[in-house]
Amino acid sequence: MSGRILGLAWRNLWRNPRRTFIAMAAIGFGYAMLLFVACLMAGLRQQMIETGTSLVISDIEVHAPGYYPKRSLYQTLGGRQGTDVGALLAAVAADPRVRAVSPRVYGYGLVNATHQSAGAQILGVVPNQEPKVTVLQTRIVKGSYLTEQMPKGIVIGDKFATAIGVGVGSEVILLTQAADGSMGNDLYKIVGIFHTGLDAVDRGLVLMSLASLQELLRLPSIRIHEVAIKLHAITEATAVAKALGGQLSKTVPVQVRAWSELVPELADYVQFNRGITYILFLIFFLLAVIGIVNTMLMAIIERTRELGMLMAVGMRPVQVIGLILAEAAGLAAASLVLGGAIGAPLLWYLQVHGLDLGGAGDDVSLAGVVVGRHWYGAQDFSAYGQAALGLAITALVSALYPALRAARFRPTEALRKV
Amino acid sequence: MTVNVSLLLFLSLPHHSITIMRWQKSRIALCVGVALLSLGQMSHAADDQRAREIVERVARLSTSKSSIATVEMQVTTENWQRNIAVQIWSLGVDKIRVRISSPREDAGTGVLKVGSDMWYYLPKTDRTVKMPPAMTMSSWMGSHFTLDDLVKASHLARDYSAALSFDGERNGVEVYEITLTPRPEAVVVWGKILLEVRRADSMPTWQRYYDEDGKLVRELTFSDYKTMSGRLIPTRLVMRPLDKTGEQTSIIYKNILFDVPISEEMFSLKNLKR
Repeated sequence: MSGRILGLAWRNLWRNPRRTFIAMAAIGFGYAMLLFVACLMAGLRQQMIETGTSLVISDIEVHAPGYYPKRSLYQTLGGRQGTDVGALLAAVAADPRVRAVSPRVYGYGLVNATHQSAGAQILGVVPNQEPKVTVLQTRIVKGSYLTEQMPKGIVIGDKFATAIGVGVGSEVILLTQAADGSMGNDLYKIVGIFHTGLDAVDRGLVLMSLASLQELLRLPSIRIHEVAIKLHAITEATAVAKALGGQLSKTVPVQVRAWSELVPELADYVQFNRGITYILFLIFFLLAVIGIVNTMLMAIIERTRELGMLMAVGMRPVQVIGLILAEAAGLAAASLVLGGAIGAPLLWYLQVHGLDLGGAGDDVSLAGVVVGRHWYGAQDFSAYGQAALGLAITALVSALYPALRAARFRPTEALRKV
Repeated sequence: MTVNVSLLLFLSLPHHSITIMRWQKSRIALCVGVALLSLGQMSHAADDQRAREIVERVARLSTSKSSIATVEMQVTTENWQRNIAVQIWSLGVDKIRVRISSPREDAGTGVLKVGSDMWYYLPKTDRTVKMPPAMTMSSWMGSHFTLDDLVKASHLARDYSAALSFDGERNGVEVYEITLTPRPEAVVVWGKILLEVRRADSMPTWQRYYDEDGKLVRELTFSDYKTMSGRLIPTRLVMRPLDKTGEQTSIIYKNILFDVPISEEMFSLKNLKR
């Protein structure tokens, strides 16, 4: 078989161009649809992972063992003795897959405004380093982000500001139990208010400079709770986390977690999203089976005489099966090319312009993550490949029944058909 | 709660179980033929009257119209150890003022508690802040006591019914042991409290707190009995939470004056800064 059969199959396909084109259009359009759905789903995943890992949680976080998620004040990196923060950050940044690092300190405190007070989580960051890892600075709706020049400046969420009745320029007193048991307290000025759309963050997070928070909590500068890491490619998070865990543990006991371990809900959603994509693929493949079986069966019945002739001049049944399967494969390949041609501009449009969800203009939040007004697509080439492969297999499997039928023709009878 | 004298007379025999006590109470009521039991006493029917009287006597140790105390608090937690020296003024049942004199980090801090409202004066920022209600009942300055624990008589007699569970010699000392169980209507955190009191001078020796599953959770021990301002009192109280080994808070009364004249002015927000 081989070359001769393949050539024959290809010629056969184009002997009835209209029928082939109709089949190609159906399968190709279906493939374009799959590309469209896969692209949107990948976009949703990417957007959710991005927003979920760009505001407070980062791609990877390094903690002392047992620190996360309880976040006990005392469990700093390197224990009570602390650690050489500069060396630790350098060790993390040495990995070429790491784009930026940011040291952090966490505390809990009571924020006292003139008439109201409320508890909040206090996050201490280095003002010019943190924006390389997270994008909270882009969510400031009033005032500005932290600056080195204003060590006693703090940034709070909009809902928290409303709850305690303060605005930009207001002074508040933060009260907390410091690491030495004393009552840490100091006066701070609100320099900025952010809105992330994440309720827990907008309602209960206070941002201040790392040095100020260490002072409030009476932690020396060698004691930090966390190193937040931004990668060049978030897809490498699990691998980099593992590598860093092994490498950093040589000098200081650490637990390194990728975002999927830090926010398992988000990781679950990503799995769920992939699952839905595959289910859509499967439904389409089932529809494609019906279409291809029908097309090939019709083609065989139409060509009974011709096939009978081929068998009469010595083509063996197995060669007939090969011929029909090759025709199906050719049809699938041509359809995929057509589908790709229809799909490519769609995918480009989704990635660049996105789907405008419109509505009230408020952020759409899904599974606790802000998705935003525009639903952008993202290129998921492995899904496109899987769809193509799936479709090709579907075509071959569906051609199997018509091919077997053709192989059972008896030349004498077949030749007598019109 | 006043103790009904006539009942006390009848019930002065030692009782070791609530059942006997109930039975005797009803018999007395029948025999005398007079409705001696007011509604209030009915609700306390489960009380062993003598046990109850001991509890009240212990409570009275720290009850006064007013007081001024110099106290040292030694707090040991898993993560730090510190000694806090404070001056405490109290007036009536619900006014407390505290001034922290050491350590240096907290020196000058003032606390005012009137009823359930609590304010802190913070010298570092020269501001007075009001605490949310939940914090007024939680541990004070990282210790294992609340602020009220330092000053006020507990409401054991109000919230718990008392029964004598031991009467005899322990370690060479004649003691009573009283079991306090929460009254059905009381909102309390403990499932049971045991209190040991010296028979001779009614001085408490320890108090053990059990959770609702009957597990011993924390233990308060009393020692260093001294006469201060005419009253014999335990001057050292040590609270040990048993779920956190190694943690404890000791309160040492260096000096205490009872029923001294203190002006209401002391307990104003305006004066808190002083």
